Amino acid sequence: MVTRENTMVPLASPDAQASPDVEGEVRRKISADLTEHFRDLWAYRELLLQFTRRDISVRYKQAAIGVAWAVLTPLVVVLSGWVLRLAFGRISGEMPNDQMMAGVAVKSLGWAFFVGAMGFGTASITGHLALITKTYFPRAILPIASVLTQLVDAAIAIVAVAIALPFFGVGFSLGFLWIAPIAVLLLLFTTAVTLAASCANVFFRDARHLVQIVLTFGIFFTPVFFDASAFGHTGSRIAMLNPLAPLLEGLRLAVVQGHNLARPLVDDTGLLIWTPLYLVYSAVWAFVGLLVTMAYFHRAEFDFAEYV
Amino acid sequence: MRTHGAGRVQFTRVWKKFRYGEVHNRLRDLIPAMLRQAIGQRPSPNALWEGEFWALRDVSFELGPGQALGIIGPNGAGKSTILRLLTRILRPTRGSCSARGRIGALIEVAAGFHPDLTGRENIYLQGAIMGMGQREITQKFDEIVAFSGVEWFLDTPVKRYSSGMHARLGFSIAAHFDPDVLIVDEVLSVGDAAFQRKAFARVTELVQRAIPVIVVSHQLDAIAAFCTEAMLLEAGSVVQRGTPLDCIAAYMQRSERVPASASGSAIALERLAIEPTDSAASGEDVTVSLHCSLRPDQPLGSEGVGVRLRSVESGLVMFETTTFHLHETLPNAGAFSVAWDLQLNVHPGMYVVEGFVWNNMSGREVGSALTAYVRVTGRGEFSGPVQMNPRIRVASALAST
Repeated sequence: MVTRENTMVPLASPDAQASPDVEGEVRRKISADLTEHFRDLWAYRELLLQFTRRDISVRYKQAAIGVAWAVLTPLVVVLSGWVLRLAFGRISGEMPNDQMMAGVAVKSLGWAFFVGAMGFGTASITGHLALITKTYFPRAILPIASVLTQLVDAAIAIVAVAIALPFFGVGFSLGFLWIAPIAVLLLLFTTAVTLAASCANVFFRDARHLVQIVLTFGIFFTPVFFDASAFGHTGSRIAMLNPLAPLLEGLRLAVVQGHNLARPLVDDTGLLIWTPLYLVYSAVWAFVGLLVTMAYFHRAEFDFAEYV
Repeated sequence: MRTHGAGRVQFTRVWKKFRYGEVHNRLRDLIPAMLRQAIGQRPSPNALWEGEFWALRDVSFELGPGQALGIIGPNGAGKSTILRLLTRILRPTRGSCSARGRIGALIEVAAGFHPDLTGRENIYLQGAIMGMGQREITQKFDEIVAFSGVEWFLDTPVKRYSSGMHARLGFSIAAHFDPDVLIVDEVLSVGDAAFQRKAFARVTELVQRAIPVIVVSHQLDAIAAFCTEAMLLEAGSVVQRGTPLDCIAAYMQRSERVPASASGSAIALERLAIEPTDSAASGEDVTVSLHCSLRPDQPLGSEGVGVRLRSVESGLVMFETTTFHLHETLPNAGAFSVAWDLQLNVHPGMYVVEGFVWNNMSGREVGSALTAYVRVTGRGEFSGPVQMNPRIRVASALAST
């Protein structure tokens, strides 16, 4: 026999000002956030590969010219650079030589990678509303996958440029050894910026306007079509404050002029074109920037589902 | 096969705050907020600010291997918030929650599908989102495909799938994950009747693995079938916990109750009993007796008592009668009891029996009801909602010799 009376806790009305009586918030350590974040990312490394693979295959599915896009976008950047250089050459009366043209091409590749990753990466979290609100995985995987996808595109474009370089009189030199460290720094810096932009875009929808401005006009503040040295003694140092500038200039000097970046370079007029400190400066930006954004991203990611 | 038993779920005094309305900030708002924080005017996370509310208030529970918790409650009670805290999508405002082991969530099982990718590609993608490695997916690939029944469409982009195929494939992937903790949320209504039976069998199999299980469902029969305990949530607070049947009964009553009249009822209900036992075969008789007394200071007026039988499976009222329906008058003073002999001509299953006070003038129930349960058993002699006590005769049309 079952006999019982209902015992119910009285229901608190929804607007009752009940409050939890738990002690104050525990301050989290940045280093703890950072290690936890790296551990999470490592645990989900297969998902990162799956997302990257997905982004690549989706990008070229139902696309009329497919993989050619990977070459077309940087090609347009290179061509605009050449048009600009030719126009300036006409005005100044000093027509650009092959080395200058090759320099524009090399730097354009780096810039196209940065812009592409940031452009796709910024919307990577807001664009996955269903995934963010319904499943858990380290959210940083989405912007990082955008960067890796862009890396695949860049690799295709690099092959195209490598084929073209000999026609501009650029041959193999020991300077090529600098390509790898510069590429790594560029990758880290781009990842940091993309993580920050994608995170900001979740909370502040006008962040994408800011990103749009960087993507459209950033090229005028970064030595891509021109060389930083064009601004003279003080001007070139100011231009090099842009963390991307030493990376792109370094890439040009190493590839096109075969310069050893561990040594400073001064031209005939005594103008300082390169010092290894430039590279150190960019490296600090890349490493510190990445660590800081990784830590803050991890703090913010648990609010994504509420704000996205 | 992996070994289980490591899974454990702990929810300790969890509070979760949400905001009403728009929460999109603009960069412009960031600077004043940062200034306020800098001069130490940080809003206390304990207090509610304008436009905020508690989605969960002080919810605690703990589950170990073999325990299955059912969470029931109306929409917006906080059920999904609990699941999202457990799956790490959200973090609690206060308190702590943790789940040890691999969490298998039968929730939003197709959330990771990309419309342009084929079924095959999406199995790998969705599997990775759930936390399965590529090797593990490859190992289970054939099983997943066979279970979902979409073999022919494996190399078709899922945007061309019907919604049923979409959901079936998603469920199959999630159901082939070997979890240490299982979370089930409203996925038992996926696909057609045949697939639902298959899905139900699969979930039963997972639940029986002696891992902690949490079930959120409006299908109360699923809660009754799977869970060892239950919790009723309302507006973020736990209003009842106990056996699944107790919580289901409380939920059904709370969801239908109209506010009791201010004066209260003249009749006090004391005891509800089912005799001879609380388990009877379909078609058999039971006696439901309700023991009551009259409150001395209140006139009986137009009050009477009634009894109601409600299906746990569907929540539907199967039968209801009162002393007014049966033209019985109640004594004017003292204690009394009312007994109904009922023929349980219903489908086998669990039923809630409720005894209540009915005001015939206002046409509404007053006060709170008493509940008991009856289990109706069957020999499988029929299907459908009503027992019609079939008697069968077969006569040969040929003349017998």
